[in-house]
Amino acid sequence: MPDIAFVKPALPRHGALVLPLAEGAETVLAGLAQAIDAATGGAVGKALAAAGFKGRKGQSTTIWAPALEGGAAGPSKLVALGLGKEVTVEAAEAAGGALLPLIAGEREAVIAAEALPPPVAASLAFGLLLRSYRFDRYRTTEKEEDKPKLERVAVATDAASAVKSAWAPLRAVADGVFFARDLVSEPPNVLNPGEFAERLQGLESHGLQVEVLGPKEMKKLGFGALLGVAQGSAEEPRMVVMQWNGATGGKAKKAAQKPVAFIGKGVTFDTGGISIKPAAGMEDMKFDMAGAAAVAGTMLALAGRRAKVDAVGLVGLVENMPSGSAQRPGDVVKTASGQTVEVINTDAEGRLVLADVIHYCQQRFAPRFMVDLATLTGAIIISLGHEHAGLFSNDDTLAQQLTAAGKSVSEALWRMPLGEAYDKQLKSDIADMKNVGGRPGGSITAAHFIQRFVDTKDGPMPWAHLDIAGTAWTTKDLPTVPKGATGFGVRLLDRLVAEHYEG
Amino acid sequence: MLKLRLRRAPREDDSPLVVPVAEGDAGRFPFAVAAGFVGAAGQVAEQPGPARRLILVGCGTPKRPLEWEEAGGHGLAAAGAVKRLALDARGLAPEAAAALAAGAALRAWRCEAYRAPGEKAPTHLDLVVDSPEAVLPRWARAEAAVRGCLLARELVAAPANLLTTREFVRRLEALAEHGITVDVLGRKRLRREGLGGLLAVGGGSASPPRLAVLRWRGSVAAPPIAFIGKGLCFDTGGISIKPAAGMEEMKADMAGAAACAGAMLALALRQSPAPAVAVLAIAENMTGAESYRPGDVLRMGNGRTVEVVDTDAEGRLVLADALHYAATHFRPQAMLDLATLTGAIVTALGAHRAGLFGTDAALLAQAAAAGEVVGERLWPMPIGARHREDLRSEIADLKQCATGRFLPDASHAAAFLREFAGAVPWAHLDIAGVDTLAEAAALGARGPSGFGARLLDMLVQMYFEDEERH
Repeated sequence: MPDIAFVKPALPRHGALVLPLAEGAETVLAGLAQAIDAATGGAVGKALAAAGFKGRKGQSTTIWAPALEGGAAGPSKLVALGLGKEVTVEAAEAAGGALLPLIAGEREAVIAAEALPPPVAASLAFGLLLRSYRFDRYRTTEKEEDKPKLERVAVATDAASAVKSAWAPLRAVADGVFFARDLVSEPPNVLNPGEFAERLQGLESHGLQVEVLGPKEMKKLGFGALLGVAQGSAEEPRMVVMQWNGATGGKAKKAAQKPVAFIGKGVTFDTGGISIKPAAGMEDMKFDMAGAAAVAGTMLALAGRRAKVDAVGLVGLVENMPSGSAQRPGDVVKTASGQTVEVINTDAEGRLVLADVIHYCQQRFAPRFMVDLATLTGAIIISLGHEHAGLFSNDDTLAQQLTAAGKSVSEALWRMPLGEAYDKQLKSDIADMKNVGGRPGGSITAAHFIQRFVDTKDGPMPWAHLDIAGTAWTTKDLPTVPKGATGFGVRLLDRLVAEHYEG
Repeated sequence: MLKLRLRRAPREDDSPLVVPVAEGDAGRFPFAVAAGFVGAAGQVAEQPGPARRLILVGCGTPKRPLEWEEAGGHGLAAAGAVKRLALDARGLAPEAAAALAAGAALRAWRCEAYRAPGEKAPTHLDLVVDSPEAVLPRWARAEAAVRGCLLARELVAAPANLLTTREFVRRLEALAEHGITVDVLGRKRLRREGLGGLLAVGGGSASPPRLAVLRWRGSVAAPPIAFIGKGLCFDTGGISIKPAAGMEEMKADMAGAAACAGAMLALALRQSPAPAVAVLAIAENMTGAESYRPGDVLRMGNGRTVEVVDTDAEGRLVLADALHYAATHFRPQAMLDLATLTGAIVTALGAHRAGLFGTDAALLAQAAAAGEVVGERLWPMPIGARHREDLRSEIADLKQCATGRFLPDASHAAAFLREFAGAVPWAHLDIAGVDTLAEAAALGARGPSGFGARLLDMLVQMYFEDEERH
């Protein structure tokens, strides 16, 4: 991934020069754009006009090796990048993402951002950075020419300090996103629960408090559901509790202020267990820990930008394997809440893990709200596809806040219903509930299962569940997400906190 | 349908008397209190002893007609296998009394046409009220919707060897007696209209495809509201044949068309001022020498070409042509289509809500609101850019569905239909999960639900009868 720097405007003598232009701005070039146009004797302006470049959203025109008058050294490539009529941070972010492949072949690039408001300039770089993510740890034979070349992107601006202060929090969020994407991309033989927990332990260097609980501790806490899922694997399960204490104010104020809580499903590989999955596509199940990765990434982002909030992130880390010691369909397990569950399908394991972790989270932290993230059901993909994650909530305010936050960071949510009739589908003949409610409304009944572990007996507990099975991984390049792990949830939760829960 | 008589007092006979009791009002009946009856919605208590059966049915704290309807349904069910029962609506507002009876009538319906007479469900209801004159007009209105719903149920219950495409049309033509005009397009006219989707889907069957057009003129001079219904009398899946298990349920694949027909009957029976038209695409999807194939390219009524991927995704093809026909021939102010369209919507929403898709926020909100009023609940679902992209074809204007695993097929289908709705405000109701009740509910026994007929009728009543609107 390239370094991002902020520099005074000057025509580069090599590499790429990028001209981000709003619709209409291509007719009156200013700043570096005007400078390069003048240096080429007006050739740049003519070339843009000839190419029909209008600055429209998604539009770009590349001019190779523009000849400078007098044979002076100049950029080897010029890219005009359309920002559309309304130059918003969202538009800039998408344009920055779309820019990356256009300049990936250069070592250096200068973005002429003098005309852009500082937040827009920073967002352009942010989009580019997010798109430049690459997971190549396991490539050993890649040819030099196939590797990405872009090392440095300089944002040319006259307001460097303003752009930098807009940039700092975005950079922190990008680090959170990348941390999550790395975790999701890692193969399951490497990233087992123990390794996952160790990597989270490493976040202490960023100012997070991290506790790791092993099977012994969880047994003491009565985590029968989580441990039941883990019992078929040679890898020991973990629960990791991350805390970020960034809220401002005196001790008394801090004591009154409860933390916000994020809970993630971290099944490092999901074979389905005894209810084993079909072989086709099973390799995807390495990303069945994307909820936990998003929670970890969010915590890192909050710490990285010193967010003024107290937040806790809890993840349940297990591997779901079939073996001689594995959980069976028909088993009844006792959850930490005391409720019993008849395990009908061992492949509906995520909710069992979440049940114990959510209960623990509420008991220990009495948070302001709880949001859980999980690649929970195939049914949510059949319901919504890959453009929206499913949102289930017992609280309209929290649901609206999440939906709005998701919209503004291109991590869209779609609200799905809850209702007593769906909850009834979980009725068991032998225990308090079954772990599946049948095919009809499969994502809804999964949400209801989780909701049964959100305790509202002593007052409301705002809770939302994000089913991210369809959005954790992309098979197509998206504007700010290259093919692969998306890190879905990090930006969304960070934005939720920034908009509503800081200060 | 249950025969209803309005009376000021119960008959002097041994027919059971059902009394609705609001929550907190149970103190009048010590026997019930002793049994733990508090009047909660759906709760039932029966007085023990040899005297005339007295059945209390809890109604909670009813505020809306739907809650009275549900109480009526529970009361009817509690009475069991009797010929006649009385519902005590004395002290209730006329609207509540009528709703009570409507609920009982909905719950009483059974499909009896195809079996020898057996255990009797109630056939007669005495509604005991303070003022029959005040209740009568309310009942007339409620009854219209009930009859519409029951027509839909009758049609859905009819087996596919009896309810062929021709027979379906014949039954629709019988609606003329209520003032509905019925026009039926056969193969020749379908060809002239270029409705290649409907013709292809119906091609493999010995029963020919039909487009039935039902019109209710109303009394307001305005463009009509249009109901579009999927009417697959039976759906084998065609060449992409379905697995055998559960295939018998596919006789209900015309539930969308049945609901539209039921709504038209309701409008006619209550002399709605709103003009309405129903365009019903009726066909049978069979495997045959003239069946359409995966890979075929069809030219649709609007001139667009469609690559067939799966002959079992036939509903969207017939609906597309019906939508186009309705949009161009009637220039309606709004179009709603109802269809048992996808298994994906069952996976998404189960049996408790139908999927709601569309292009017009106001119409979507109105449809959802009408659904809440009658207890036929909808949930909004997305049509995303990606859903449309997934339908790109290498050879035609679009594919009929996508291929792969975990497909959001309900959204794909909606994205497909949107291409044929033109500029008319449009909503699509995927009712695949709600057309049949797997177990008895307050307003219906196990079997066809008639979902949609009452919803459409209520939608018109709430939003399309205001003359000021036009």
